[in-house]
Amino acid sequence: MKVKTPYRVAGLAMASCMALTACMSSGSDSGSAEDGDGPIKIGISLPLTGDFSEPGKGVQRGYEAWADYVNENGGLLGRDVELTILDDQSNADRVAADYEKLINQDGVDLVFGPFSTRLVVPAAQVAQDYGFLFVEPAGAAEEVFTQGFDNLFYAAPAVADDHYNYLADAIEALPEDQRPKTAAYAAMDDPFAMGTAYGLKDRLEEMGVETVVDEVYPPNTTDFGSIAAKIADSEADVVVGGTQYQDAVNMIVALQQLDYQPKMAAFSTAPTNPEFPEAIGSKTEGILSPTGYTPEADFPTNQEFVDYYTEKNGTPPAEDEANAWTTGQVVAAAVEAVECASPDPECQSQLIDWLRENEVDTVVGPLTWDAEGRPEGAHLIQQYVDGEIRIVLPEEAKEADLIIEKPAW
Amino acid sequence: MSLLLQSLVLGVLLGGLYALLAAGLTLYFGVMRVVMIAHSAFLILAAYLAWWFSTETGLDPLLSLVLTVPLFFGMGVFMQRVLISRLRPATLTMMSVLLTFSIALVIEGMLGFAFSGTQRRIRLDYGGANFEVFGANVAVVKLIAFALAAVSLAALFLLMKKTQFGQALRATIQHPEAARLIGINTDRVAGYGFGLGLATAAVGGTALALDSTFYPSLHWHWIGPLMAIIVVGGLGSIPGAAIAAMVLGMGQSLLQIPLGTTWAQTFFYIALFATLMVRPQGFFGGRLAQRF
Amino acid sequence: MPSASDTTTVTSAATGDTTRRRGSMLLKAVALAVLAAGVLSFPSVAANPFILSVGVVIMSYAVLATSWNFVGGFTGYISLGHAAYSGLGGYATGLLVIHTGINPWLAMVLAGLVVAALAVPIGIASLRVRGASFVIVSIALVLILLLVFQSWGSFTGGSNGLRVPRPFGPEVLRPEQHERFFYLHALLLGVALLVWWLIDRSRFGTGLKAIREDEDKAQALGVPTFTYKLIAFVVSAFFTALGGGLYALWFGFLDPIFQFSILVGSYMVLMSLLGGIRSLFGPFLGAVIVGYAVEYFKNQYGDSQFHLVAMGLLLGLVVLFMPDGIIPAATNLVERFRPQKTSIREVSAADLAEQRRTAGPEAGQADQQARTDDGTDIPSTDTPTDTSVTEGARR
Repeated sequence: MKVKTPYRVAGLAMASCMALTACMSSGSDSGSAEDGDGPIKIGISLPLTGDFSEPGKGVQRGYEAWADYVNENGGLLGRDVELTILDDQSNADRVAADYEKLINQDGVDLVFGPFSTRLVVPAAQVAQDYGFLFVEPAGAAEEVFTQGFDNLFYAAPAVADDHYNYLADAIEALPEDQRPKTAAYAAMDDPFAMGTAYGLKDRLEEMGVETVVDEVYPPNTTDFGSIAAKIADSEADVVVGGTQYQDAVNMIVALQQLDYQPKMAAFSTAPTNPEFPEAIGSKTEGILSPTGYTPEADFPTNQEFVDYYTEKNGTPPAEDEANAWTTGQVVAAAVEAVECASPDPECQSQLIDWLRENEVDTVVGPLTWDAEGRPEGAHLIQQYVDGEIRIVLPEEAKEADLIIEKPAW
Repeated sequence: MSLLLQSLVLGVLLGGLYALLAAGLTLYFGVMRVVMIAHSAFLILAAYLAWWFSTETGLDPLLSLVLTVPLFFGMGVFMQRVLISRLRPATLTMMSVLLTFSIALVIEGMLGFAFSGTQRRIRLDYGGANFEVFGANVAVVKLIAFALAAVSLAALFLLMKKTQFGQALRATIQHPEAARLIGINTDRVAGYGFGLGLATAAVGGTALALDSTFYPSLHWHWIGPLMAIIVVGGLGSIPGAAIAAMVLGMGQSLLQIPLGTTWAQTFFYIALFATLMVRPQGFFGGRLAQRF
Repeated sequence: MPSASDTTTVTSAATGDTTRRRGSMLLKAVALAVLAAGVLSFPSVAANPFILSVGVVIMSYAVLATSWNFVGGFTGYISLGHAAYSGLGGYATGLLVIHTGINPWLAMVLAGLVVAALAVPIGIASLRVRGASFVIVSIALVLILLLVFQSWGSFTGGSNGLRVPRPFGPEVLRPEQHERFFYLHALLLGVALLVWWLIDRSRFGTGLKAIREDEDKAQALGVPTFTYKLIAFVVSAFFTALGGGLYALWFGFLDPIFQFSILVGSYMVLMSLLGGIRSLFGPFLGAVIVGYAVEYFKNQYGDSQFHLVAMGLLLGLVVLFMPDGIIPAATNLVERFRPQKTSIREVSAADLAEQRRTAGPEAGQADQQARTDDGTDIPSTDTPTDTSVTEGARR
């Protein structure tokens, strides 16, 4: 009995291998070969479950709205677009496998990027290996652009480190004695969140604002008592949070519990979320945040986007949706310009070359990219003014005046 | 100085919650020699139930305890009688780890399925309320959570020491064969012991939900420190677990001042390894710990 | 394959007959050759690079599960945290390549040795005490490494992840890479299986299995249990690290969250258990089944957390109803239809206890007795005496 079984298993294992091959290969390479007619297939992998599922679903809504809009308006190069969206479960191993599948098995003509820096890098690697253009809606951290990808473009106004540029400019413009003296930073250990906070930290330190607290916490942190205690103890004039969503809520509540009142409070991402005021009990007045998008912006295509999206989904688009739509616009512009959309490396490299040299008008404004794919714009600064989100910086786009001295929370 | 005091206060408040949860883990281990990986998954489940209860009814999440504690007690008895007791005795310790691990996965998956992976938080009107004691701010919600843990722990202690059931339970933990000889139905007692352990997760989860966000995979974040606590305290010793929880909770809180949040978390694991190297039976453990 | 099974029936029934034994050897060789040919021909059968990449992932799982089985299968110590060693192996390989620029394959082997060296103190800490502490340490190790690798950004790349340079130049296209790595993984799997087989046949292996069945008795019989366990543990960590390193070189990107994930470690356990931890090919079979199931669940229920539930349920069912895995279960099934059993069988203590409690006249009571007694670590072979004593006392 000890003799035989392993070899039976061997047979079974082999049979499984064969079955695996057979099952998985069925349905492959259908419709990828013929060019020119049939829909343009676009492959996307998004985190629809797992840690990034909320923003991932926002990006999905944006992509779907864009595809519907294009199809209702004559398609791309006269062909319909068809999205294939896979779920990568917020997992880096899966995201690579997904793009591998989209490109090889589903035979897509174009790919769009996933959400979050963590997933963009492995995905971009696969796209690059197959020579695909890779425009991504999220992945703003500096690390994305230093990996040597020549096919990558970030479809938003600015990289993470530059998000607070307008705010830093405004502080610098203040008379010396009105500037804050000390600042406390707490950032999630995440390339994007740390990028925003440290971008502002570098600027503030340059102008002589002393850093009194500099904390980095793991993404899974839920207890902010100790971090808040440090910040409160330092009595810093400015508190800057490199945050995603819930961590900002937790941190603000913890700071309130310690009765800490900063003169200025800036948090990334979370305050742009519609649920934010409710989550922290409406004590939002004066909180600052960088944002890449506002539905009120008067860029040429924006009004149409807002109207179309609102009609379709019932609510105006937020930043994630806008970034996805922008990705669609950027790729579409390149496709229209070089008049091709196929997995053929020749076509893809033409698309890449075109984007390197041209400006694209999008719902977040005109975009251009440097050689590594960094967009060369800046983020707007928003603030809660009288309980409403208002753009306060830069001067030319502002909807309300910047409140320098934050009211108590 | 005030930062030190503040951290100490936060450490005590956190340690209370750890102590309650570690007491639950100790109970399972005591009655069945089971390392219950799913304990923290049930903790998160209780937090979700409290959240769900409070958003659906608009009532205070504390009231959900009336439902969750008996529910969890029942689930604990069920788990012990139907699942754990099926395992082969020779491999019980190892297989029970895997079994409870799989239960944790199922709970995490179901929570994600039902409530999505979004982080949740119960919004309380008194969420930001605080008062000052000797220059340290004490948040009202944290104090409530601590009080909840302390009361439950005291009740558990009284139950173990003063009631007949408690005596039977302790006898079962100390020497099952002897307990059987004097007529204790050890199977039933073990089931109730399991139920009691799980009930601590219900209380702990509600306390946790008062002042923290939670998401389905959060339980991995809790199980490590809890495991460290029961090893340091000595597997199977409830007072040991409670003392270790307090010491480690305060230690973590204080170490955050010089080390920062991330490195302070490693304190638990360093304590775990140090304990196993220096005193594998734990610092307060009895006879049981030496064998496991 | 009806003919194959027919012949095996005959050969295994034979005891002590030289010619037949030679026949069985031949059959083994043929079956092994067929298995090897089947595995090695996979890249040429694979319809496209995606399927090939799935094949690489499954082979990687097979390597990890087989490596896990050095400690899990031989000693019965179940580690839920073997992802720690695969992750360390991956990071050590990547960091060695990046910082010293040495040959990537050399880096991989060095990484394996480094991890094996690290496994010594960890093994000493966790193997000194029985079962429960070992599992706790294995989980704690993954969590602590996750923290360290996330926080120590300047060295490990932190939460940005670490890109591992490719061992092959840019002229090797991605599909070609998949193919080469498939063979490399197959090679590593072959080596791991060979070592497992050699240990299985050795005196050392017998000692380890004695520990698995009854550690106290093994110790009493003079088996240096602690040393044996430690060696098995270190060998396991070494192979796991090699597997992690090879995967890192193939995948090219390491993210601490996914490298030091309890889920990855639990996959290794599930695969080995499902296939059968006492069998040479058990973990491999488990890896093929689970690896395929993962792809399948992803395709079917991609948009939900259902894969966790499915994995949890599967693991629970295996633990409850098939703790010995598919291979022994299938074997038992075959045995039942066999005319006569072979004279000598390998029987575990658990099996014996099982037999005894189903066979005895007071089956029900014996059953209860056996369970609770064993819970307190009294060797299961004492059960019958114990039962009679307590029975007597009760009367």
